[in-house]
Amino acid sequence: MADLLQQIEHLKSFEKQAEIKIQTLGNFVLWRNQEKISDKEWGRDKAIQLFQYFISNRKKNALHKEKIMDNLWEDWDDRDFKVALHGIQKVLEPNRINRTEPNFIIRQGVSYQIDLEKVWIDVEALEKYIIIGNEALTIDKNSAKIAYKEAIELYKGSFLPSRIFEDWTSEEREKNQLLILGTYITLAEILLDENPIESIRLSQNALEIDATWEDAYRIQMQAYIAKGNRPQALKTYMKCEVILEEEYGISPLPETKMLLQKIEEIH
Amino acid sequence: MIKKQAQTASFMVRFHQQIFEENGESKIQWKGKISHVQDGEEKRFSDFKDALTFMQQKLNTLTEEATKYQTSEEQENILQKSLSMWKAIKDVGPKVLRDTLKDPKKQFHNLQDQLQDQISNISEEISEKIQIDQWKNASKSDFHKVQQQIEDLAAEIKKMSKKIDSQKK
Repeated sequence: MADLLQQIEHLKSFEKQAEIKIQTLGNFVLWRNQEKISDKEWGRDKAIQLFQYFISNRKKNALHKEKIMDNLWEDWDDRDFKVALHGIQKVLEPNRINRTEPNFIIRQGVSYQIDLEKVWIDVEALEKYIIIGNEALTIDKNSAKIAYKEAIELYKGSFLPSRIFEDWTSEEREKNQLLILGTYITLAEILLDENPIESIRLSQNALEIDATWEDAYRIQMQAYIAKGNRPQALKTYMKCEVILEEEYGISPLPETKMLLQKIEEIH
Repeated sequence: MIKKQAQTASFMVRFHQQIFEENGESKIQWKGKISHVQDGEEKRFSDFKDALTFMQQKLNTLTEEATKYQTSEEQENILQKSLSMWKAIKDVGPKVLRDTLKDPKKQFHNLQDQLQDQISNISEEISEKIQIDQWKNASKSDFHKVQQQIEDLAAEIKKMSKKIDSQKK
């Protein structure tokens, strides 16, 4: 248990101390030594694109230059890549002496990747908090709550929203959306008895991401009942029924219907 | 030359399963969402055919856009060729549907239509649409049972057709 809390602390201190920090959720922001880098400093958009591609594919070991370019740009030559990479290096390490090894982008021949040991990225931290939360869930609810809350804190919106029409960002966006939906629901469930208002808020956040997420409606119904608000619980069921019919042409699950029945029996 | 980006359509498909108990039996429900990355449009589905239709529409638009400066004859020709890919998918589609998205409600409407078609081939007398709406919440085993019955029925129909043919001769 102490180990899980230690892992959370370790992640937090990494965020505080990292020389390079990147926010990709809700907006793209880079901090170098706690200083926010302006768009002007990036210069060309191609440098930002290449860097965001590195982030999106950070777990695929050593990305080959040609593959990167093929996925990113229509027509390209070596010069484009060099210029874009130089633009990144200039932003990350403006004072690096020429011909010395870059500190944050690992190069192996013609393959490149971000050094995740040195660069803090929100999506990477979010996933790690969720892993800790899931691990703690059955053995230490308190640590699970802390970890999930940290993850939720990091979720400021969808992944690289300015690149939603670029297919190389879709996988990461979908993955994060599902991770955070699951986290909202799990935390809302944990908090049902002790803090139903918070459960309502969390499930509402889940519904803002996906209005057809049936688990969220069920939790809201339970939370409203816990608060003694029967009319609102019934209204929530109605909303669920309408949206499922509209979007899928199906009715709520038996579990949800049974919950409605229980609520209807309350006088 | 047309840009590569204008020749590409990417789709992100999400499937969500719900396994639940009903009348003492385990059941599964599939829901899904398909997104067209390049324009951000989304479509939710509980029947995979709807996702395939969505993809087909997007790809047709892509072909139309890419051929808009050609004569209408050439454009029609290319569209026809493009559609031939969907004939293959149509053949595979129902199998995929049967194997993966076992949505009883929609499945039984499909079966209802299949039954209707087969029966109509034999005689007007028995061509009244079979009402199986009460099967809406049918289980997997019910589904297989009816599927087996349809196959048996189809075999019977074949036999009868042969008999009729031989009598005509």
